[in-house]
Amino acid sequence: MARRLIIVGAGVTGLMTAKFLVDRGFSDILVIDRKYPGSGGSFRCATGVRASFTSREHIKVMLRAVDLWPKLSKELGIKYSRDGYLWLLTRDRDVEFFREAVKFQNSLGVPTRLVTPEEVRELAPTINTSSVVAAVYDPIAGKASCFDSVTNTLTHLLARGVEVKWGVEARKIAREGRGFVVETNIGSLRADSVLVAAGDGSRRLLETLGVDLPIRNLPKHALVTEAFRPVFKPLIIDWATSSYIVQLFNGNFYIGADIPEVYDTVAKVKLEFLRKAARVWTSYFPWLREVYVLRYWTGYYDMTPDHHPVIGPVEGLEGVYVAAGFSGHGFMMSPAVGEALASYILGERPLVPEFERLSPGRFARGELIKEIAVFG
Amino acid sequence: MRGYRIEEHPILKFRRGRVVKFRFNGVEVEGYEGESVLASLYALGYRVFSYSKTGRPRGAFCMIGKCSSCLARVNGVPNTRICIEPVRDGLVVETQSGLPEIPSETHGDVSEEEIEADAVVVGSGPAGLQAALTLAGHGLKVVLVEEHFKLGGQLVKQTHRFFGDTAYYGGVRGFRIGELLAEKVRASSNIKVLTSTRVYGFFAEGYLGAATVTGEPRHYLIKSKYTIVATGASERLALFENNDLPGVMGAGGAQTLMNEYGIRPGDRAVVVGSGNVGLIVAYQLLQAGVDVKAILELRDEIGGWFVHAAKIRRHGVPIKTRRTLLRVEGHDRVEKAVSVAVDGGYNPIPGTEEAYDVDLVLLAVGLQPSYALLGQMGAVVKHVPELGGLVPVRTWSMETSIPGVYVAGDLSGVEEATAAFLEGELAARSILEKEGLADGGRAEVLHYLWNVYRMSPVLERARRGKLSVTLSEGEMEELRRGAG
Ligand SMILES: Cc1cc2nc3c(=O)[nH]c(=O)nc-3n(C[C@H](O)[C@H](O)[C@H](O)COP(=O)(O)OP(=O)(O)OC[C@H]3O[C@@H](n4cnc5c(N)ncnc54)[C@H](O)[C@@H]3O)c2cc1C
Ligand SMILES: Cc1cc2nc3c(=O)[nH]c(=O)nc-3n(C[C@H](O)[C@H](O)[C@H](O)COP(=O)(O)OP(=O)(O)OC[C@H]3O[C@@H](n4cnc5c(N)ncnc54)[C@H](O)[C@@H]3O)c2cc1C
Ligand code: FES
Repeated sequence: MARRLIIVGAGVTGLMTAKFLVDRGFSDILVIDRKYPGSGGSFRCATGVRASFTSREHIKVMLRAVDLWPKLSKELGIKYSRDGYLWLLTRDRDVEFFREAVKFQNSLGVPTRLVTPEEVRELAPTINTSSVVAAVYDPIAGKASCFDSVTNTLTHLLARGVEVKWGVEARKIAREGRGFVVETNIGSLRADSVLVAAGDGSRRLLETLGVDLPIRNLPKHALVTEAFRPVFKPLIIDWATSSYIVQLFNGNFYIGADIPEVYDTVAKVKLEFLRKAARVWTSYFPWLREVYVLRYWTGYYDMTPDHHPVIGPVEGLEGVYVAAGFSGHGFMMSPAVGEALASYILGERPLVPEFERLSPGRFARGELIKEIAVFG
Repeated sequence: MRGYRIEEHPILKFRRGRVVKFRFNGVEVEGYEGESVLASLYALGYRVFSYSKTGRPRGAFCMIGKCSSCLARVNGVPNTRICIEPVRDGLVVETQSGLPEIPSETHGDVSEEEIEADAVVVGSGPAGLQAALTLAGHGLKVVLVEEHFKLGGQLVKQTHRFFGDTAYYGGVRGFRIGELLAEKVRASSNIKVLTSTRVYGFFAEGYLGAATVTGEPRHYLIKSKYTIVATGASERLALFENNDLPGVMGAGGAQTLMNEYGIRPGDRAVVVGSGNVGLIVAYQLLQAGVDVKAILELRDEIGGWFVHAAKIRRHGVPIKTRRTLLRVEGHDRVEKAVSVAVDGGYNPIPGTEEAYDVDLVLLAVGLQPSYALLGQMGAVVKHVPELGGLVPVRTWSMETSIPGVYVAGDLSGVEEATAAFLEGELAARSILEKEGLADGGRAEVLHYLWNVYRMSPVLERARRGKLSVTLSEGEMEELRRGAG
């Protein structure tokens, strides 16, 4: 028995797509995950949501997501709050660059602005700004609970007859008649259409269909500390060291920081990360010196050459859709991505036309997305 | 407030340290040097040490830093586990309510030390102590790391005489064995001992990271050829209404209070679970002057050994099979416990409730291996119900799927202290053999462990469980290839 649609990957992307589809009356969906819902990037992410990017495509897509998050929050009870993003700048040349970025963002309707160290201290109480020359503030950015986003959406889907199976790994996809067969550890599954939303597993799976996408997995590191009462709202980025901190809804501080890494290698727990995370953030927030790290984990950014995702139907393989290569931004985008994929699968064009620029064929055509500068 | 210090005990003599004064919620209180902050407060009658996010009171549960029930603010630093925080003059201790405020004070810089050794032993229970002594006795340089401020693990609270072979301390009381081994460890020039220090993880750079949990902040990076992980086990909670009310305590928590610190954990108690731990703890409660109302056992039969059960019965304590705890009641501490009979499927039978006026409910419902560190290091683990939960797969030499990393004691599957000694020794002797320092002792220990000690019918379940996760060298090689 063939289903109408199999979604490979129960991360936010796969689940949101299923949600937009069932809400529009599409039925007979099976979602499979090799581990469990959320186990990929979705439960590992920093939960940041923003539209302040440096390409038209990212900004337009993210603005749609920023519109959708409060609606989803109300409907599904996902904790979401427009708590802002704050980029701390410690070098004059960075200020110059951000001045341009802010201008570009403002021209597309994103209300970012440069702020002084004094304003930084108001936005982030207890911060030591002695090294800060200026900062950029994005008031419509924010955060959403990644746990609610996965589990509440899952509950919504299960109540509407969507089947979700975990512990099921897709190993190969092949054409069979007018549909597809997905080979898994529990046998062959058949469907009219397949959506590959398998995060860091997407490239390898698509290769079995003869589709080669330039997605490479980059190891990333994150930690959370003990939980405290609310201290500051925005997600704060230290631009010069490429690291960030955010206080999550349940009170833990989540810290990420870049250390040198090699594409497509196994992510491992490194002292180097803890050292950097501690060095950067205890100098901004000295009280962090007395705070324990509760957990440290790794994950992958599924990176593309232009740092933009690959979304839409695979040209030449009718019935196969892909949503991967999010390059570290797939969580914030997921409502807009789910909405756009639902449109594609229902035979329509996406509401936000910029999605069409993110098609899988762009690499072969050499139509990579341009940014005013590489950022974030 | 009434005091809870035990003044007379049939077996134990409590040598209390110097009196120290500190503040608890603004009130000046006294304790004795050598005990934990929580022990001092408990002795004075305090039972609530923090409040949850939803305002529910939290008391003492495990007493060994494993359950996070006792988080309080100490000298401005929130979320301090006061059950493993040594009491000191001038401490300022405050109850936490919901999420704490961020730390208000910062203390000195963290100093860091790199240590190289032949072997690291994590955990100083019987398994870790025996392993460290065996290795050091043959000239290896050993670092022994223990998160508690005392060496000895769970031995410290065991007042009964051990059974079995005198080579493995048969006839000696548990805490005495702990003291003896700790003295030997301290006396060995080949063992560097780090107490109040937790091994928190392993890094790709090849280091074990360890950090002090109290006192002067220090960070250690330890590199060694061999690692023996002997982190023991922690107690399980049981499901019933209000199971978080202060006064509901792990059996081990109560043992710590009465046997280690000489503090009566309550006045009237119900014990849940009739395995050896439940029976022993009930007997120890009687010795400490607690009125034990009953022992409840879910199954048809008493779980522990006959000798222990008989002792309890002689004291007139009923052991009620096919009954479990339905709920406890009380405002900010246990005032009443309600038990209920169960049917063949362990479902409560309405109308069979019995209430007890008690201030203490002790849970002796099993232990689960503390596998977090080994799991993080990447050892292959397997769920084995007979052994209490997730345990590492190992060879007959106690080597895990990570070459050079060994396991011993309760972490390898919950048994009891004698097995822990034996496994610690076996792991150490296997390492010695690899290093060409063997004196033939390994085969003897292996034989004794499997063919003598574990042949006892009471260890049948554990034996079966351990067999199911013990591989030959060849099988382990295959597993490593598959996992890698
Ligand atoms: C440390 C870190 C911080 C991040 N911070 C942010 C942030 O602040 N904001 C933001 O927007 N994004 C962030 N991201 C990125 C974000 O997490 C991802 O882009 C997003 O979760 C992608 O969701 P997804 O559903 O596409 O993929 P995933 O959540 O990875 O889900 C893919 C699922 O597919 C399953 N799968 C893979 N292969 C197979 C197979 N062959 N068969 C069956 N199932 C398979 C996996 O088990 C997984 O559950 C961060 C990522 C990391 C690692
Ligand atoms: C409540 C209770 C009652 C018991 N009663 C009896 C009894 O009556 N008779 C009997 O024979 N057996 C009894 N046992 C069992 C027996 O004590 C254990 O089998 C034995 O102590 C196990 O020894 P071990 O060395 O494996 O672990 P433990 O004795 O538990 O020692 C482990 C040690 O490791 C330390 N540790 C853990 N993690 C870390 C880390 N990351 N870094 C540093 N240190 C760490 C712990 O603080 C602890 O001191 C009891 C056990 C418990 C818990
Ligand atoms: S952690 Fe202190 S009582 Fe458990």
